Amino acid sequence: MAEKPILEMRGITKYIFDSYGVAIRNSTVRILDKVDFDLNRGEVHILVGENGAGKSTLMKVLGGLIPPDEGEVLLDGKVIRPKNAKEALEAGIGFIHQELNLCGNLSVSDNIFMGREIVRRGVKDKSAMRAKSAQLLDEMGVTNIPPETLVKDLSTAQQQIVEIAKVLSYDCRIIIMDEPTSSLTQREIDILFALIDKLRAQGVSIIYISHRLEEFERVGDRLSVLRDGQSIGTLERRDFDVDTIVAMMVGRTLGAMYENRHVPGHEPVLEVRNLRLEEKTAPISMHINAGEIVGMGGLVGAGRTELAKSVFGYRKCFGGEVFYQGRQLKTLNPADLIRHGIVYLTEDRKSEGLVLDMDVAQNISLASLFRMFPRFFMFGGKERELAEKTVSQLNVVCNSLSQLVRTLSGGNQQKIILGKCLATNPRLLILDEPTRGIDVGAKAEIYRMIDQIAESGVAVMMISSDMPELIGMSDRIYVMRGGAIVAEIQDKADMTQENILAYTIGKNA
Amino acid sequence: MQNTLEKSKGTSQSLWVRFLKNHGSILFFAVLFLLSSLFVPNFFTPRNVMTVIKQAAVPLVACMGLMLILTTGGIDLSLGYTLGLCSVLLGMMTKRYGIAAWQAIPLTLLIGAAVGLVNGSIVQFLHVPAFIATLGSGYVLYGIAQIFGKGDAFYQLPEDLLAFGTSRPLMIFAGGVPEEAMKNGLIGQILKLPSYVFIALIVAAIMYVVRHKTTYGRNLSVFGFNAKTARLSGVRTARLNVATYVISSTLVALASVLLTIRVNCAQSNLGGSNYTFEIVTAAVVGGTSLAGGVSSVVNCLFGVLVTKTLENIVNLMAVNIYLYQPLMGVVILIAIVLDAWKNRKL
Amino acid sequence: MRLSKRQSSIVTAAAVIAVFLIGGAFVPNFLKPANFLNVIRQCSIIAICAVGVTQVIVIQGIDLSVGGNVTFCGMLAGLLLGRGVPVPAAILCALVCGVVIGLISGSLYAYLEVPAFVATLVVGQITQGLAYLFNNGRSFGGFPKSYVFLGNGSFLGIPISDYIMIVFVAAGIFVTTMLPIGTRIYGLGGNEQVLKNVGIDTAKIKLFVFAASGFCAASAGVLLAAQLDTAHPTQGEPYQLDAIAACIIGGVSMSGGEGKVIMSMVGALIIGSIRNILNLLAVHSFYQNILVGVIIIAVVAVSMFSRLRSESKTAQFTVVENGGGR
Repeated sequence: MAEKPILEMRGITKYIFDSYGVAIRNSTVRILDKVDFDLNRGEVHILVGENGAGKSTLMKVLGGLIPPDEGEVLLDGKVIRPKNAKEALEAGIGFIHQELNLCGNLSVSDNIFMGREIVRRGVKDKSAMRAKSAQLLDEMGVTNIPPETLVKDLSTAQQQIVEIAKVLSYDCRIIIMDEPTSSLTQREIDILFALIDKLRAQGVSIIYISHRLEEFERVGDRLSVLRDGQSIGTLERRDFDVDTIVAMMVGRTLGAMYENRHVPGHEPVLEVRNLRLEEKTAPISMHINAGEIVGMGGLVGAGRTELAKSVFGYRKCFGGEVFYQGRQLKTLNPADLIRHGIVYLTEDRKSEGLVLDMDVAQNISLASLFRMFPRFFMFGGKERELAEKTVSQLNVVCNSLSQLVRTLSGGNQQKIILGKCLATNPRLLILDEPTRGIDVGAKAEIYRMIDQIAESGVAVMMISSDMPELIGMSDRIYVMRGGAIVAEIQDKADMTQENILAYTIGKNA
Repeated sequence: MQNTLEKSKGTSQSLWVRFLKNHGSILFFAVLFLLSSLFVPNFFTPRNVMTVIKQAAVPLVACMGLMLILTTGGIDLSLGYTLGLCSVLLGMMTKRYGIAAWQAIPLTLLIGAAVGLVNGSIVQFLHVPAFIATLGSGYVLYGIAQIFGKGDAFYQLPEDLLAFGTSRPLMIFAGGVPEEAMKNGLIGQILKLPSYVFIALIVAAIMYVVRHKTTYGRNLSVFGFNAKTARLSGVRTARLNVATYVISSTLVALASVLLTIRVNCAQSNLGGSNYTFEIVTAAVVGGTSLAGGVSSVVNCLFGVLVTKTLENIVNLMAVNIYLYQPLMGVVILIAIVLDAWKNRKL
Repeated sequence: MRLSKRQSSIVTAAAVIAVFLIGGAFVPNFLKPANFLNVIRQCSIIAICAVGVTQVIVIQGIDLSVGGNVTFCGMLAGLLLGRGVPVPAAILCALVCGVVIGLISGSLYAYLEVPAFVATLVVGQITQGLAYLFNNGRSFGGFPKSYVFLGNGSFLGIPISDYIMIVFVAAGIFVTTMLPIGTRIYGLGGNEQVLKNVGIDTAKIKLFVFAASGFCAASAGVLLAAQLDTAHPTQGEPYQLDAIAACIIGGVSMSGGEGKVIMSMVGALIIGSIRNILNLLAVHSFYQNILVGVIIIAVVAVSMFSRLRSESKTAQFTVVENGGGR
């Protein structure tokens, strides 16, 4: 097609940023590195990449949720800089998030017209709004959603359709769909795809983020691959080929970051038998030996974090038995498990791992107070000693031990959480994304620490979405999908990114 | 923005500013004390200063309890009514049934603990927001107190009970003090301080250790700041939360005993919602964060002193006594606004 | 979900009927017309407060300033009437004050992000305290006939107070269901981010809601003073708990986003009737307080529990369709 693209993104660069969207000072970590992307009228452009490849960030830039540090976005050849979701919407860019962006307690038509209610003589014109909603849905070929239904009474697929309708009501010509099929059944997926075809025919352009290779040929016109924040390439539909795509997605070689010295032992520290994460998911059985690093592969939402939290007693699970050092754990709760020597390094460091408004020393001693001060009183300098030891051991960069953790960089925060976990003298360490969002230097240091921990005989379960890390560190890998373990890879030789990715996205399931 | 954040929270800040931010209530009290000494007649006399201290003693005990609950991020709106219930029960036990003070006082504290257990359990296990749970339980407690007391008051309490709070422990040192100094001098006033002041100070000292030097106190902060992190770091959060309500209400019961002795009258109307509010004000002026996590015994001590000094000034200046309550409201309003300002802008 | 909502309305309706049946069967005078009119007259104050409080709870707030506000505005009206201010002017003045009071707690909540219960507690205490100042803790009385008529007069056999209540409830229903702001209020309680994403200034909605609650409480205060022909600095206090209880009984969810004005009025009727029955049975107000306190805690606990259960039921994973064994 010689037609000029409706949307162009040129040289988008974004440095790592904090939760306010403000760049971390002096950060050199680029989430996006001069990414180019374009979208034609009436096409479905698939965006793929591993977790953390920068897809979501790129789309957030486009959707006005975060500003780019460099680069520009051109819509119809004109530069736009949407400052928030509303401006992006008005410019014609609609974003359909993975999580629900509707008010469940309101009706479909109220949701569609939120903020732009149709008013007649000062009063909300309900019938007009309903008629228009019905018309919108009708044009989309959807007839089974009455506009007066409450959104929370709809199925997930119907809710997504309502979101699409809401976006279309803004006359959006570009719709971003972030993993729209991740929680849909096959029938609902078919409905969604039919809708996408219809929209495409009407000239709407769609950016479609997905992990499901099997869908690509069905919906996509073109496909772009992102890897480590860089655009790797774009394929036309005729070139869609699973092997090619997987090869483009992986590619990164294992560096010298992983120098494993630990030797896995043989007696199991943790054994899980037939544990179910939900009533209907397949039972999970797994084990971890002393001194062994067991990697947990899979997509975000595959149930890895849920498994860790279930084992750690933080989340309800359905049936199954957990054995720890040969004895069955009857009741699971974090406080007892920590005292038994199991500790969990959380995925979300800010809301589950640290107390941001407390200082370095206090955060390090957080989980081991019971051990340091068994007699209730906290006199003496034990806490400071521990903090000093940890800070020097893990090479934490901070002004003083009484600096608030909030003001530290992500890497240093992560080291503090690791220090907190290690201070409990664990025999089983569960790590959930231990290196997410931190720079390369800190990563290498954390890998070295994990290796040392395993060397001292601690069993390590490591959840990671970073493939090289998973392969580089693990002695064994379990791959999870849909709340169940779908593969166990024991042989180092089988631990290839292609192989894991294939299990992850269910190619050979 | 990142820059200012680092600056404000880091060590580059001057000691002064940090002291002010962490101990605003001390400055507040100092300024208030200085100004009233200069401008309010009869304020700066040994007798009056001791009056303020005596008036501050009982609220201090209650404030220590409430401080703990506020640190968890909860609140106890039933505080004043717990106080009334304990008072009336203490009066009944000692006056109507003739139970000796050494038995009646522990029993009263137990009743307080039971109230706390109920409140804490409602909040922790029934997941009712603290303000609703304690608002509701406050009415229940008030009703119970009135049923027991039938609206009456018990005056002229037994001597053994009064002795617990009104004896003057320092008088044993009074030997060599001249009579004139004894009557009007500062030394005399200090020597004549009743035992409830010392009990309050002992409670504050114990609470200082509990709040700042024990694992319980530390975990309390952790829980208040971030309950999820607390639980995932092995804090027994349910037990901690309920225990806090129990400790708090026990302290309120102690405050009730002391107040009952101080006014020599046991009745269900002692305390009430105004009292709750006064204690909340003292805690908030004392820098306790309503969002949880932040509190300090020393600051709360000065918070109580600020509220009581204000009350004293209102009394001395012979303005309308009803001015006190709205004044307290304005004071807490200022404290809240300053707190919001401090957290965002400074 | 939908069923459970209908069920809850049915339960509430059943509660009304039960209260009236029990009252009628066991309490001699309960269903006599004179008493009945008295009940609904008393309920009107609770219901008017509840109209405002409903909105506040819907946006996940709470209004603990209702008691103080009712007292304050009643006393203010009393003060002005005592000074010879004409009745309409005095009423207007009191109502404006109520709105301002609501705006103060609303700004604390919306702009300083002070928790709603603290903001309104403080404002409630200030207003309560000021009410004592008006006449040194004494009450005002002996109001003009036209003012007292508002509270005690009746038209076509029905108390004027109840016409006023109906106006408030109707206005509440109109605002929440017919106006755009009503949708936004409920949306705010459901998912604030959605509103922010389409560029709605949610702080303004919060201000509106608190101001409305202040207005309702002020009107209730004015009406209460007229009913009693006195304005006393403690008379508003019981309405604090009753108004919240009415909303909660009427099915307003403490977690926000749910609740109807009309059901809160029903809740007010239940609370008012229970109080009346207990009065007729000569049960002391002590026991009444206990009962209302227990009801509040129980109803909130039940609603919190059912909510938690329904949340834990939503599955997080899609089951792997083609069987995901090893």
